Amino acid sequence: MSTKKYAVAIRDVLQQEMQRDERVFVMGEDIAEQGGIFGCTRGLMEEFGKERVRNTPISEAGFIGAGVGASLTGMRPVIELMYMDFTYVAMDQILNQAAKIRYMYGGKATLPLVIRGQQGIGRGNAGTHSQSVEAFFTHIPGLKVAMPATPADAAGLLRTAIRDNNPIMFFEHKALYAVSGEVPDDPDFSIPFGKAAIMREGADVTVIATSLMVSRALEAAEKLSGEGIDVEVIDPRTILPMDMDTFVGSVKKTGRALVVHEAHRTMGIGAEIAAELTEKAFVYLDAPVARLGAKACTLPFSLVLENAVVPGVDDIVEGVRKICYR
Amino acid sequence: MAEKIIMPKQGLQMTEGTIIEWKKQVGDTVKEGETLFEIETDKLNIDIDAPASGTLLAVLRKEGETVPITEIIGYIGEAGEDVSSLTGAPKNPPTEAPTESPAESPTESPTESMIEAPTEAPTEAPAGASGRKFVTPRARKTAEEKQLDLQKITGTGPEGLVIERDVLAAAVSAGSSAPGQPSATPTARKLAERTGQDLASITGTGPRGKIYSADIAAAARQKTTGSYPESAEYGAEEIPMRGMRKVIAERMRSSLDEAAQAVHRMDIDMSEAVRLRAAFKAEGRAVSFNDIIVRAAAAALKRHPRINRQIGSNGNILQFRDVNIGIAVALDEGLIVPVISHADQRSLEDIHAESKRLAAAARSNTLQPEDLAGGRFTISNLGMYGLDSFTAIINRPESCILAVGSITDRPVVIEKQLAVRPVCTLSLTYDHRLIDGAPAAEFLQTLRGILQNPLLMI
Repeated sequence: MSTKKYAVAIRDVLQQEMQRDERVFVMGEDIAEQGGIFGCTRGLMEEFGKERVRNTPISEAGFIGAGVGASLTGMRPVIELMYMDFTYVAMDQILNQAAKIRYMYGGKATLPLVIRGQQGIGRGNAGTHSQSVEAFFTHIPGLKVAMPATPADAAGLLRTAIRDNNPIMFFEHKALYAVSGEVPDDPDFSIPFGKAAIMREGADVTVIATSLMVSRALEAAEKLSGEGIDVEVIDPRTILPMDMDTFVGSVKKTGRALVVHEAHRTMGIGAEIAAELTEKAFVYLDAPVARLGAKACTLPFSLVLENAVVPGVDDIVEGVRKICYR
Repeated sequence: MAEKIIMPKQGLQMTEGTIIEWKKQVGDTVKEGETLFEIETDKLNIDIDAPASGTLLAVLRKEGETVPITEIIGYIGEAGEDVSSLTGAPKNPPTEAPTESPAESPTESPTESMIEAPTEAPTEAPAGASGRKFVTPRARKTAEEKQLDLQKITGTGPEGLVIERDVLAAAVSAGSSAPGQPSATPTARKLAERTGQDLASITGTGPRGKIYSADIAAAARQKTTGSYPESAEYGAEEIPMRGMRKVIAERMRSSLDEAAQAVHRMDIDMSEAVRLRAAFKAEGRAVSFNDIIVRAAAAALKRHPRINRQIGSNGNILQFRDVNIGIAVALDEGLIVPVISHADQRSLEDIHAESKRLAAAARSNTLQPEDLAGGRFTISNLGMYGLDSFTAIINRPESCILAVGSITDRPVVIEKQLAVRPVCTLSLTYDHRLIDGAPAAEFLQTLRGILQNPLLMI
């Protein structure tokens, strides 16, 4: 085990996978000399050269399209987007090409492609640079979507993503890059997709939280334990595939669930989880499955307003109390 | 959809309110914003406006009832809307003969009235047939497992929804179906054994009906007193504990429970204060000794910021900049403490006018919430009753109260000579968690200095 920051955990996996498999290469804006604006590719150019650590112009549709092509011809590209908000520029390449190629070629083509980058609040980057956009990529079949909340999960899930033969959307969080945690040193350490992590066991209520919201849910759970409410916190880690079995098992125990995500509440993955829980655990529910997500509002520039729009610890505490009828 | 009428929260500390009067009767038309009912809180009587326009469909809590905040006390909706499923009341039998309907509403087509007809309850419906009972799926499943009759279980969820904890509580009180012993703490078990009580007959107040030792003790008390009313036993009149009395009872008890109360006393030579008051009087301007003490205390507080502190709700210390002084006003049925804000910045005459206004408003029950907010330090003066000195209980969350006794001519020794001076004893109760003995004494010393030389007030 080594203690490292989330951003360093990602960098180390990129390095190890590039050492292991020469078909793996990285591509994106300012990733070579500068090492990426968050340092996730720092030092890679020096070790692997500019052929495998490629700077691109500001043209997401172009370089994601190039990644799809490279992947089709046998390479294993890992593409960094400076902000995952910019996937919007390349939606045709992602949703109409990458997601569908394996199906449309009758399984004869594989598409080992990782599109990774950061999103979310924390830097006051305003409306077009602070969104949480993961849900778009869960609606169209053909992609897998990961959103690690800890350095170890970032390392383990990224390795699985790079070794997978399907296109993967990999959502990091700008406010988590500086968070430190224990990461196994094993160069084959990986975490399977579709396996949730129970971050805290509890008997009274299940809180399912993703990405930055995991730490907020844990903090809320601590506060609530002082009121005699025992909260179980689960991080799905990948939202496609989604580990519904773990959620259902937890809700059978607790009878209550609150889903918390930073993405907008309206039509978000919280709604999907709530509906699945209602179908699969209806008779175990003692309260409606509740959801917390960003308000239906463009993410503001002001840090204060940013935090007013996305769920905070107190919102989670209040949300839990409500479904516990307290 | 009918609109709920709830007991509104009218202040940070308000937990319940008493309905004094419904200004409208069921069936009356109400307009959003017009006065619907009057409540009494711990501090005030307040008129509450209707939350929506429509017809007052139901009144669930009667005048005189004390209701926790946010509890539903009635419904407003469209005339004729059926709220029996919400109120749990039996559906009203049709009040009009069916033949009258078309005449009453000539604009309705016959088909419409035919559609409405089947919704009317048959007149022979069994009396007391109530609205549907709502139960969560989990509660239903647990009730089945424990073989309990859901109809007999009272729901504690929103609008009477039966949730799992209600079923578990019922299982514990039924004592039969729950496999094994009801859940109880080890201390509770021992206490039950010692007092010869059956755990199964005790309702636990802990999570999932867990029995605490306090529950055993309560059950034991219940046993010894029984249900025979005390009032009958003693031939006494029973007066409900509510409103201001209840609040005073709770706050005095909790003040003594929470604060570490200690008292300092100091005798003050009031000769200069007497002279000051006489000087005002000679000019035909009125100020009272109490006003002088309020002003002097404000000046002393300004100089001793460590006294102008409270323990906040999160346990940290709040250091105030404002010097706001509460004055205890006795009422027929209780006591209230309106606040003279920024007393350190007011002239004596201003303080006089403000305290007269507050006392009059207190007696006529017209104090506004802002008249009661922000108190940091209370002065209670019972000098007029001839008390030389007395000890007051801190008006929480404040940390000091100054009890003022009467000003009487007393023998004092000045420069080894016996003299007679008007003397007043001040007793400062302070919260020793926050204020130590020496700073409290220094504060009283400064206060004495000011009262004995009122020029220092300026």
